[in-house]
Amino acid sequence: MSANNDSLLEAYLFETNSLLEQLDNLVLEAEEKDSFSEDDINTIFRIMHTIKGSSAMMEYNSLMTIAHRVEDLFSIIRDTSIDIVPEEKRSDLFDLLFQSIDFFRQEIDHLQNAEPLTDNIDSLLQKINTFIQQIQGKDTAEGSAEGAAQAAPETPAIPTPSVDPQFPYGLHVFFDEDCGMENLRAFMLVNEIRSFCQEDSFTFEPKGVESDPSTAAEIIEKGFLLCFVRQEDRDSAIHTVTESGFVRTYQTVDCEPVETPPAAPAETVSKAPAAQSAPQKEAPKSTAPSQDNNRHHKESLISVNLSKLDQLAAVVGEIVITESMVSSSPDLKGLKLDTFMKSARQLRKLTDELQDVSMSLRMVPVSSTFQKMHRIVRDMCKKLGKEVKLTLVGEDTEVDKTIVDSIADPIMHIVRNSMDHGIEDTEEERINAGKNPVGEIILSARHTGSEVIIEIIDDGRGVNYDAVLKKAINNGIAYPDVEYSHRDILGFLMEPGFSTNTEVTEFSGRGVGMDVVKRNVEDVGGVINITSEPGQGMTTTLKIPLTMAIMDGMEVAVGTYTFTIPIHNIRQSFKITTNDIIHDASGGEVFKCMGEFYPVVRMRDLFQMDEGVTDVQDGILMWLESGDLSYCLFVDKLCGEQQVVVKPLPSYLNTFNIKRSGIAGCTIMGDGNISIILDVANLYKP
Amino acid sequence: MEQDVLFAIDNSEDMEELLENQEVQTEKYLLFTSAQLLFGVSSEYVVEIITHHAITKLPLVPDYIKGIINLRGQIIPIVDTRTLLGYSGEHNECTIILNINDTLVGILIDSVLKMIDIEKDSIRIDPAQKTQGLVSGICSLPDKQTMLVFDCVQILNQP
Repeated sequence: MSANNDSLLEAYLFETNSLLEQLDNLVLEAEEKDSFSEDDINTIFRIMHTIKGSSAMMEYNSLMTIAHRVEDLFSIIRDTSIDIVPEEKRSDLFDLLFQSIDFFRQEIDHLQNAEPLTDNIDSLLQKINTFIQQIQGKDTAEGSAEGAAQAAPETPAIPTPSVDPQFPYGLHVFFDEDCGMENLRAFMLVNEIRSFCQEDSFTFEPKGVESDPSTAAEIIEKGFLLCFVRQEDRDSAIHTVTESGFVRTYQTVDCEPVETPPAAPAETVSKAPAAQSAPQKEAPKSTAPSQDNNRHHKESLISVNLSKLDQLAAVVGEIVITESMVSSSPDLKGLKLDTFMKSARQLRKLTDELQDVSMSLRMVPVSSTFQKMHRIVRDMCKKLGKEVKLTLVGEDTEVDKTIVDSIADPIMHIVRNSMDHGIEDTEEERINAGKNPVGEIILSARHTGSEVIIEIIDDGRGVNYDAVLKKAINNGIAYPDVEYSHRDILGFLMEPGFSTNTEVTEFSGRGVGMDVVKRNVEDVGGVINITSEPGQGMTTTLKIPLTMAIMDGMEVAVGTYTFTIPIHNIRQSFKITTNDIIHDASGGEVFKCMGEFYPVVRMRDLFQMDEGVTDVQDGILMWLESGDLSYCLFVDKLCGEQQVVVKPLPSYLNTFNIKRSGIAGCTIMGDGNISIILDVANLYKP
Repeated sequence: MEQDVLFAIDNSEDMEELLENQEVQTEKYLLFTSAQLLFGVSSEYVVEIITHHAITKLPLVPDYIKGIINLRGQIIPIVDTRTLLGYSGEHNECTIILNINDTLVGILIDSVLKMIDIEKDSIRIDPAQKTQGLVSGICSLPDKQTMLVFDCVQILNQP
């Protein structure tokens, strides 16, 4: 086990994370309705059960214990109905669930950072136990049936021992001594077997392995007996058994009348004769869908390490370049090669397809990031006593995985800001302003060509321009006596040092201001823009490239150097004469275009190169824009537009601060030469 | 190529262990010249030797960074040893690609001579510390020449 412990841990983290996400969403939805549907309860039960099982496998006791108790709680609810929890207790139940989810998350974080797990789980455990007692106290009859009710779900589908000749092929499994949790390990085997064998074509002994820890002793003593109708099933089961850990030995038992200890079923019956019939009806419902889900997942989804996808994308990028190197090789000039050209066209088609596929592998919907905001809005509503509805639009929009990861924090921060500062403090305030008493935050995502646009819209009170300006002046970002436009003032919000300690609340202003949000967005090549109408709310727009790996670029030349400028930064290019250049007082050059003046930056001077044209009539002027920055870059000539694969510069060169001087990376062109990609935002500082 | 080199080292180490008592420890060095000086670089670092590769110049870097090359899809920075040593003038277009602690760097040199075995004990500390820290030791060769031991790690620590 130790050999593949890492991959086990990875699988465990992945599985548990996705389960927690599912759980979080489910509980949030349920909270809105203030009740759990039967399906919800079954799903929560199943999720807790899986977490318990896998945590036990990994020997994470704290996780297992909490999952176990929550499972118990839901087992009670499942076996009676949600009505067992009185209306006034419902919110406690939801809080309890959220606390448990947070606990799991925190522990998973610990695991991911290789930190030790929390030992002290008593307070949460105590809370759950108290809650169980409370709802049991309300209905003691149901409470006493708890033990039996848990055992019951496994029994119904399985015939009584008397029909054993139906299962002639037995398999006797013994677990490693001292491996612990024998009953759970047995149950995991059963789960595995269910994935290929129908419920009614096998049986196992002892029965209550899923929820009755006392069966562990029995398994230690007598082994765990599985019986099948068909031999093939048993053969596959043997395979499963040998693959699973902790199995010491197994033995096939053929056509023997199986002797079964009648203790387990008898115990169940004697303990709770009354409760037996009710859960029996429910149980098949609960197990069947979960099985279907599992089977579906197993077949259609695999998790792949992101670095492998990166590698794939890199290789595919090389193939695309090599393909064009081969098919446009200068050696072919003047030759008439019909078959070759036909094959080359075919190859190009395939490489293009391959590139699309390899790109799409990295695309994930933004929904998981968006869904997380539900929880934040919910928590903040409770804390701040506001009522806010979060609406998600276009959650299916797909974006590169690395980009999804890097925009999660900025979005969260903006949503928090909107909750904290945007939405009015009281309902009256909203009603007086003629708005719906319930505030609304809309989170939307949509594609436009090569970009994804994410908007966070709130209908709160909007930005108070005077207050922001006053604060900016106080913090030394803005100068008094200067007149600023609304756009300038919104810009102050994103200046470093604007967010100050005077306004720290629990959620916003944890020392992370909008400047960090802006930087995060810009790091992935995005642009952030805020608009606000006082009294009407605020809209924050993030424009983010779909992927950072491939982009459209314009090749420009300066002397013998070749540079690539991202197409989306280029506004226009001009052929100009000396007269079009205006000189300002400090000797700088300015170009007038569409009634505005833009500084002229000469590439040659900027990069201190000793080649390239100096006469403006011989070169070309490119009007570039990135965010609020706009300037004209003077280069020798344009060489053409090209789709390029972005490669980072060797890390060795990072010591020369090359990134800060406006070089974003490099790319290999069709002829194998390297072109340097310019970072328009950092190339020139006014 | 890299693989081959690694295997060679593994083997030689095994051999060394076996023959420790009979033979002195040796290490393979690649001899090359730069600015009329004879250098040796431990074969441990050498990935491959290339000639006449087009170098893309980079702006805003120190003189001794000649630029970057595209070696089968990998972008590798090229350091000019002659400039580092304080000499000027043209080079033969010969580049040794080195793998220094997982960083690939190419060094531009005059010409590659040969591989030789050097006894580890025969390497002395360089008495004149004038070579920009690029030399970690000095060693006399059997043919009366003197080899300067090229200090690869120092390449990464240049100002």
